[in-house]
Amino acid sequence: MAVLTTTTIITAIGVFLAGLLTLAERFLLNYGICKIVVNGEKTYEIKGGNHLLGSLQQHDIFIPSACGGRGTCGLCKVAVLEGGGPLLPTETPYLTAEEIENHFRLSCQVRVRNDLNILIPEELFSIREYHAKVIRIKDLTYDTKYLSLGLAEGETVDFVAGQYIQLMIPTYGKVKEEVYRAYSVASPQTLKTQIDLIIRRVPQGISTTYVFDYLKEGDSITFNGPYGDFFLRDNSREIIYIAGGSGLGPIKSMLHKMAEEGIDRKATFFFGCVSGKDLYFVDEMKEFEDRVPKFKFVPALSNPEANDGWQGETGLITEVVDRHIKEDGEYEAYLCGSPGMIDASIKVLKSKGIPEEHIFFDKF
Amino acid sequence: MKQTPKLDRIQRLMQPGVISKEGFLGNDTRKLADIIEDDQRLVASLGLTHEMIADVMEEITDAGRETFGSPKMVGKFLKVTVEGSMGKIASPFGGLYNKENITVLNIETNESITWTTLNIHMIRDHGFYQGKGSCYRIEPKNIAKIFKLKQMI
Amino acid sequence: MDINPIVIFFASISTSNIVLTNFLGMCSYLSISRDLKASWGLGQAVIFVMTTTTMLNFLVYKYILVPAGLEYLRYIVFIIIVAAFVQLIEMILERYMTNLYYALGIFLPLITVNCAILGVALFMVIREYTFLQSLAYGAGGGIGWALAIVALAGIREKVDETKIPKGLQGAGFALIVTGIMAMAFIGLSGIANIQ
Repeated sequence: MAVLTTTTIITAIGVFLAGLLTLAERFLLNYGICKIVVNGEKTYEIKGGNHLLGSLQQHDIFIPSACGGRGTCGLCKVAVLEGGGPLLPTETPYLTAEEIENHFRLSCQVRVRNDLNILIPEELFSIREYHAKVIRIKDLTYDTKYLSLGLAEGETVDFVAGQYIQLMIPTYGKVKEEVYRAYSVASPQTLKTQIDLIIRRVPQGISTTYVFDYLKEGDSITFNGPYGDFFLRDNSREIIYIAGGSGLGPIKSMLHKMAEEGIDRKATFFFGCVSGKDLYFVDEMKEFEDRVPKFKFVPALSNPEANDGWQGETGLITEVVDRHIKEDGEYEAYLCGSPGMIDASIKVLKSKGIPEEHIFFDKF
Repeated sequence: MKQTPKLDRIQRLMQPGVISKEGFLGNDTRKLADIIEDDQRLVASLGLTHEMIADVMEEITDAGRETFGSPKMVGKFLKVTVEGSMGKIASPFGGLYNKENITVLNIETNESITWTTLNIHMIRDHGFYQGKGSCYRIEPKNIAKIFKLKQMI
Repeated sequence: MDINPIVIFFASISTSNIVLTNFLGMCSYLSISRDLKASWGLGQAVIFVMTTTTMLNFLVYKYILVPAGLEYLRYIVFIIIVAAFVQLIEMILERYMTNLYYALGIFLPLITVNCAILGVALFMVIREYTFLQSLAYGAGGGIGWALAIVALAGIREKVDETKIPKGLQGAGFALIVTGIMAMAFIGLSGIANIQ
């Protein structure tokens, strides 16, 4: 009997407290429906309590994010004018003083607790999520693959040559959470039912390891996009393309555009590789020389091996560019490659008198 | 050193599959604070500082970066290859860094050592050399080796 | 024990300060006192938790545990009540005082294991306080704890600008300061004594 009363009393106390907490959670942590005003014009009604990044995604607004909302990449910045609450210690490392001044926040860290008033760059509204099937995976070199993704029946994608998409890498092996990685589109912008990507293996990379070792033809894959302001500007300046490794991708898409629209601006594509085994798409580029009126392809090897039988340009891509372009010419440059190559190329181009505002490259 | 909530948060980001495929800790089960403290002691016993080590690694990296992926001889004996990938990698301590893999081969002894740009930042700013068993861990005894490399430049 | 609740209230703030005379609740006292703002926030939370849980614990003890002869279960019951209340406070803070919520971070759940709060509840039983006395003791104890941590935080912020020998930095120095503060509080012992 004593045991029974003891148990009953302890249980009663426990149940009472648990009930109290449940009620509190119900009323305190229920934020109801919150209104999010975007750019002062569109209003979305969102169930409160979740992070802004995910809440916007539910309404098909995709803010670029490479880490999937874990607060490690610092890409998902949006300006929260009202209702964002205090700046959190998890955000401060990613924001500059100027951004804090302009009310920028990491949308993956801001919780929707009340009505918000936010600013998002207009072009993000055209970003959507797409479901695709892997049509083909082709080896370009020992460490580079050409990936063709076909969109689901009836779906089409609108992008401008040079823009990139974010591939969603599902969980696999030790990777327990989805991640997103950015890749430039290599296919023509007029081909709206398919996108092609050039992917080079990154040592220990989460995404490239998945593409190289796990992904098979016929698999389903999700991506969102398009992103970026790396696209051909409309003017008559002579074009310099510089790329290394997988950086050929967006340039190829731009060349398709030039061929299809008959753009007859003078253009030279400097493609830098280490040795013959890194070189790919030479025939395709030669073909563009026929299709694009004033286009020239200049591949260069920095360290050709004896059995490459290399006849073309030799040396670092920056040296080759330096040899080919004139001082103070009317040029416009589009760069894509590793940060080291981009930095060195910008230096050379500037030394030739090309102003910074005529040099374009992706910052991702 | 005490494991603070902030270090707890950082250590969670270092698990495999969060920022990098294999994570930053290898099979090390120690607390992050202890990893940093133990390495701090080892580095001090070699008469070095994190700053000095990072400086040498950076100097070698900068020298090798000029050739975008082709091996470059730095000094008489060191063959340095800096392979840059596109995109950035997040540091568990905050900030974005270039994805660069640096391999230094001593052609005389045929010994090689590998690190990344992120390694340099984590050593300089946080005294973190990665956990035991991590493929990019910089062992303090290898640090002594790097210092020998420096004399060869 | 027939002491005026008002006396108990003031005594538990000053002469019988739970931190400075009983040295209870040291963990969060030492770790949060680096920052004046956060320590005041935690102080407020402790005042609230201590006052409410002492009342609740008193009622539960007197009207449930004693009649049922379950006094031996008071440790468990007190802890459960404190834990539930801390949860409740966490929700309230997250909703209405987000800044404080993030400033306290992990230390808020730590109130659950703040032994000062359990200590106050147990002293209340040992000293056979009435409801009003317990209320005064709980509120006074909370205010006393807050006073002590805010005072220490203030001192530590000033001391941060001076040079302290390496071995004494952090907790070592904080404990020395606490000791001196405790001695200073002895100076008030003529006012009232409840122990």
